[in-house]
This record gives sequence, C-alpha cells and structure tokens, in this order.
Amino acid sequence: MDFILNPYYLQIVMFMAINAVLGISIYLTLSTGQLSLGNAGFMSIGAYVSALLTIKAGAPILVSVLCGGVAAGCMALLIGLPVIRLQGIYLAIATLGFGEVVRVIVLNLKITNGALGISGIPSMAVIFGKQLSEVGLSSGMGGLTLQQIANLLVLLVLIAVVAVLVFFCIRVHNSRVGRALAAIKADEKAAEVMGIDVTYYKILMFCLGAVVAAIAGGLAAHLTFYIGPKDFAYHRAVEILLFAVLGGSDVVWGPLLGAFLLTALPEVLRFAAEYREMIYGAILVVMMAFRPQGLLSTQTLRYIKEKLGRSRVNDTSTQPG
Amino acid sequence: MLKVQGMVTSYGNIKALQGIDLHVPAGSIVSLIGANGAGKSTAMKTIVGLLKPDAGQIIFQGQEIQGLPAYKTVALGMSLVPEGRQILANMTVLENMEMGASQRRDAEIDDDLEKMFKRFPILRERRDQLGGTLSGGQQQMLAIARALMARPKLLLLDEPSMGLAPLVVADIFQVIQEINEQGTTVLLVEQNARQALKISNYAYVLETGKIVLHGQADDIAQNPRVKEAYLGGTKRK
Repeated sequence: MDFILNPYYLQIVMFMAINAVLGISIYLTLSTGQLSLGNAGFMSIGAYVSALLTIKAGAPILVSVLCGGVAAGCMALLIGLPVIRLQGIYLAIATLGFGEVVRVIVLNLKITNGALGISGIPSMAVIFGKQLSEVGLSSGMGGLTLQQIANLLVLLVLIAVVAVLVFFCIRVHNSRVGRALAAIKADEKAAEVMGIDVTYYKILMFCLGAVVAAIAGGLAAHLTFYIGPKDFAYHRAVEILLFAVLGGSDVVWGPLLGAFLLTALPEVLRFAAEYREMIYGAILVVMMAFRPQGLLSTQTLRYIKEKLGRSRVNDTSTQPG
Repeated sequence: MLKVQGMVTSYGNIKALQGIDLHVPAGSIVSLIGANGAGKSTAMKTIVGLLKPDAGQIIFQGQEIQGLPAYKTVALGMSLVPEGRQILANMTVLENMEMGASQRRDAEIDDDLEKMFKRFPILRERRDQLGGTLSGGQQQMLAIARALMARPKLLLLDEPSMGLAPLVVADIFQVIQEINEQGTTVLLVEQNARQALKISNYAYVLETGKIVLHGQADDIAQNPRVKEAYLGGTKRK
C-alpha cells in the first residue's frame, strides 16, 4: 500500500492526468485538421491567470481555473479569427509565434514576476488537507495519513476532469457536429460544398482546444507550488503535439494513451538516464516510419471491438446447451 | 430561378471571368460548355459561394446572393457536385450521403436515403464500404446522391463525365435527365459538349472568361463554330 501511495508515484500519475487533459486539447484542435502549436501558450495563460487569481484575489481554485479557461478562450477567439485562414505548416508557425509572444510577455510583466516565475501557489493537496483537518481527520483515517488522503482526493479530481472531457469528446464525435468535423478534416472544400460552415467549426474547435489547454495549465499550477515562463516554452508545445503523434489523433483515446506513455517513459527509462533523450527520440522516429497514424486509429479500435465481440460470441457458443 | 449579371471573378491579377451573364429558368437544364481554362469551374464556384466575385450580381429566386458563403447558399437550395467528385474517402457510402443532409433537421432524411438507394442501387450494395474504394463512376453517383440529399432546387454539376468510361457517362447523363424531370433545375458544366447539348434546353459557350455564344441547345449543336471547336469538326453527308 505504501508503495502505491508513495507521493512520488502519485505525483507522476497526477502529471499523467494533466498531460491527458493537454492531449485532449490537441485532439480537439486536430479534429478539424488544424496543426496548432499554440496550446502551450494557452496553457500558460490558464496557469498564470488562475495562479494570480488565487494568490492576489484569494479566489477559490475552481473559480480561478475556470477563469483561466475563459481568458484563454477569449484570447483564442481573438487570434483565431485572422490565423484560422492559414493551413498546415503556416498555421503551425503562426501559433508557435503566438506561444513565444505569450512567453515573452509573461517574462516581462511585473505581475507575473518575470523570469523568476510565481511561487507559493496554494496547492490543491494542501487545501484539501486543511479542509480535512477541519472536519476532524487531522490524524488520518483507515491507516492513511492526512497527506495521503489529500493526495488521493486531488488525483480523484484530476481523473474526474479527464473522464468528463473524454465523455464530452466521445459525445461530440458521435454527433452531427462530429461528422462535420470529420468531413472538414478529410476534405475542407468538399465539406464546404456540403453546406458545412467550415470557418465556424474551425474557430470553435480552436477555442475549445485553448480552453481545455488552459484548464490543464490552471490545474498544473495548483499541483506544484511554482510556475515560470520556462514551463510553457517551445518544448512544451512540441510535447503536447507528440501526445497526439504517438497515440494517434483520430480517436480521443489516442492522445490519452500518448500522454500516459510519454509521461511514464522518462520514469521507466530512469535507469538509462543519460540515454533517455536518445531513446525517446528513437521511439518517435520508429513511430513515424512504421505507424505515422499513431498507435490508435479508427481501424485499430474497430479491430479491438471486433475481437472483443467475437470472443464474447465464442464464449456463449462454446457453453454446453 | 438563377440570374447572373456581369459576374467578374479573379485569382489575384488574373481575371478568370470577365463579366458573364447567365440565365437558368426553373425546371430547365442549362449547360455551360467550353475548353480547358475557359472559366467554367470558376463560374460554378462563384455562383455557390466558394469564390467571391469582384463585380456583378447573382440572383437566386429573387434574392441577391453574390458573396454569400457556401453554407448559406446550400441552405437557400443550391447544391454543387464538385469537379473531381470530392468523395470523403474515409467515410462510408452511407456516411457520405448523410453528410449531404448536414443542414437538414427534418424527419424525412431516411425516406430520401431510401429514394437515393432506389435510384442508385449500386450505392445500396456498397452502403457500408468506404467511399474511397468505389470506382470513378460509382463515386460520381455518390457525389450526385450526396448533393441531392440536401434537397436542392438547383443542382450544379461540374464536369460529371470527367475521367469516366463512355458507357458510364451515358448512365450519368441519363440520371441527370431523370433528376431534372422530377423537378430539379440543373446547371451543367461540361467539356463533353456533345452529350451535354443532347440533354440541355439552353447552352452557353464560354471562351477565356467571356460568353461568346448562347442559345437553344439544338441551335448551338448545329452552329458551325461550335461543331468545329467542340464537337470534333463538321460531318459531311
């Protein structure tokens, strides 16, 4: 039990959940075929807005995280309107530029504390701990210490956020909107001819992706005590994109799997610490060469479903009548 | 039903259409013929709103529609079967057809699907197959079915015969005629002028962005200039 509740492992699982949310954010933007590298920038907006709101204005974490999401959504709308006309590599460069602009602004503003970053952000675990001790659980419960219970609660919150987002994505995917998005991704011109308002859906998904990325940023800020401009630099933008590249961007499970694997990989490869980056790179090169659509695709899911369905059929048929 | 006046469309500095006038009366088949690069597809794209005209008026059922985006003209009752068909290769035949009805909210979509399957039995056979696996002719049928799923009043077809075997072309043109007989007005762009003129009521000849000739399809087919340029020379008896 102590092994599972080791704060170090718990922290890794929490980061997995945060990265899963980021993976969903890139899935949303990619669902209309838009290659955006701006999600790190939106994440940074969400992190800073929510951190500042809790520190300076004393807002509750839930409110501040949501405000961060709204702020990033408005920003996405503002830059999305001109930028969405760009396609492919041009959109990637423009959004990458946006991320850098956000980073430089954060680096130079007084309120964000420049390069030093913001420290002393109230963490969710500490707040849960305080509330628990107020209701008289200060000595823990059922063999768990107060800190462990608090950490588990945080994990539960994060998993709930991921679950809600996955549910949302699946519902959208199976709806009329999901069909429209798939059509836009497959062929923008054809989608337009079929009477789909391409610009509307592209901006909608761009903004939704930004909101989700910002929520991940807000949650991340309240998981650690510190955020700085370096946390949301270029390498973060690429990392988010890699979730989708590794896992696949056709189905929401793809980036989710990518996020889990890419968060776990550095830990698993810790024994080979010096070669970690190399192994990491090699895995991605191999992926691009042999499975460019990512680990999970629509076909993979269909295949898995068929397998499951068939084994169930076999089970019933082999039972003695 | 559709009236186009002085429509000018350009790609950057190049004027692809230099002020053309078209008139498509309700219930008719009107064809727009011309060589490669004459501006036929540009005219179609401008009418449905995929391109914005620099000047001129497009009036559809008494309403000015120039500059409206495509999703709005579809709502008004125009449906384009694009050049090269543009089937969604990774969606099934059924999904492709349902996409055509993406703006409709009524309950008769399933009835219309059934009608389409009746008209194109091959599509019923291939219902759950991916669109990209169909042959060229089948894809063209699917593209037409998809456009009809929007219940258009005016169907615009951009080179439906492109890249198809002569036998299939004959099928496609027969289908177009049937669709028209059931009350849908058709504007047809074709390089296959002989076939197009056979089923049309009226025809326009487009050359380098200008209408050089127009009239009843039969008269156009008899016109010596057209015969020379598009119908493979004059036949001597």
